[in-house]
Amino acid sequence: MPAQVVLTIGGLWLMAAPAVLGYGDAAAVSDRSAGPVMAAIAFLSIFTITRGLRWLNLPVGLWLVVAPWLLGFPADATVSSTVVGVAALALAWVGRVDQSRYGGGWRTLFHPDRLPSEE
Amino acid sequence: MASETTASVPPGWQGNPSSWPQRLPIIGVALVGFAIATYLALYQYGVVDTVWEPFFGDGSENVLDSKLSRVLPVSDATLGAAGYLADAVTGLLFGVARWRTQPWIVIVFGFAVGPLGLTSILLVIAQPVLYDSFCTLCMTSAAISLAMIPAAVDEVLASLQHLRRVQRRGGSLWAAFWGRS
Repeated sequence: MPAQVVLTIGGLWLMAAPAVLGYGDAAAVSDRSAGPVMAAIAFLSIFTITRGLRWLNLPVGLWLVVAPWLLGFPADATVSSTVVGVAALALAWVGRVDQSRYGGGWRTLFHPDRLPSEE
Repeated sequence: MASETTASVPPGWQGNPSSWPQRLPIIGVALVGFAIATYLALYQYGVVDTVWEPFFGDGSENVLDSKLSRVLPVSDATLGAAGYLADAVTGLLFGVARWRTQPWIVIVFGFAVGPLGLTSILLVIAQPVLYDSFCTLCMTSAAISLAMIPAAVDEVLASLQHLRRVQRRGGSLWAAFWGRS
């Protein structure tokens, strides 16, 4: 899932960005909080069995887009947060969840009539 | 052995999530995590004087000596080591049909793997935010516990599907949970 790999890297970038670009305060707290969350969700979404979690990166992306205006980031932090946030909003939903090889996947737990029968 | 493995594939699955090729790598990775967490705990309790930190200066020491690492009666790395050990032990117990014959241990295994990963992520957030410090081995441990989740949860899904199937045909969920149906 290239989209989720991109978002994993984006999250890791946010963890490093305050040190690389040299800013602190609210912008650093935002990046260092949203970064690990985004990287973890995107990493788990690389795998078919946990891909259903990918939607959780939509609120993270939304936060990254609004946080610079809400909290007043310096210019370079604003660009970084906005670019990664827009990427999350654009890519978080990408990837089909085909869990047929897992007996229909997690959704069968809520729809037991779709469980494959025993042979 | 081969026929036993075939018979252990859950209905509608392409492979058996309880087979040893599926479980042994998870157990191996858990033992690596256990070794790292034990080393960090030994530093926290003064058994070793310094901690290996190639990138972040005194970052590891700041993190490992922080107040947050001691909010519980035992240090956070000690809890991490216990968690990894629980992962390895609950990953090892019982045979290749355990998703069906011992669902309880698979579900305990899932509870050991999942929250450990989540806690690691929360600590990775807390360390730079609260202490402005990074800790290489702490982040390595977090990456390990996160990587174990997708490898482990397929077995949990197979057990939950099995319990759901028992319930649908009117069997006892309690008996099935303990493998007595």
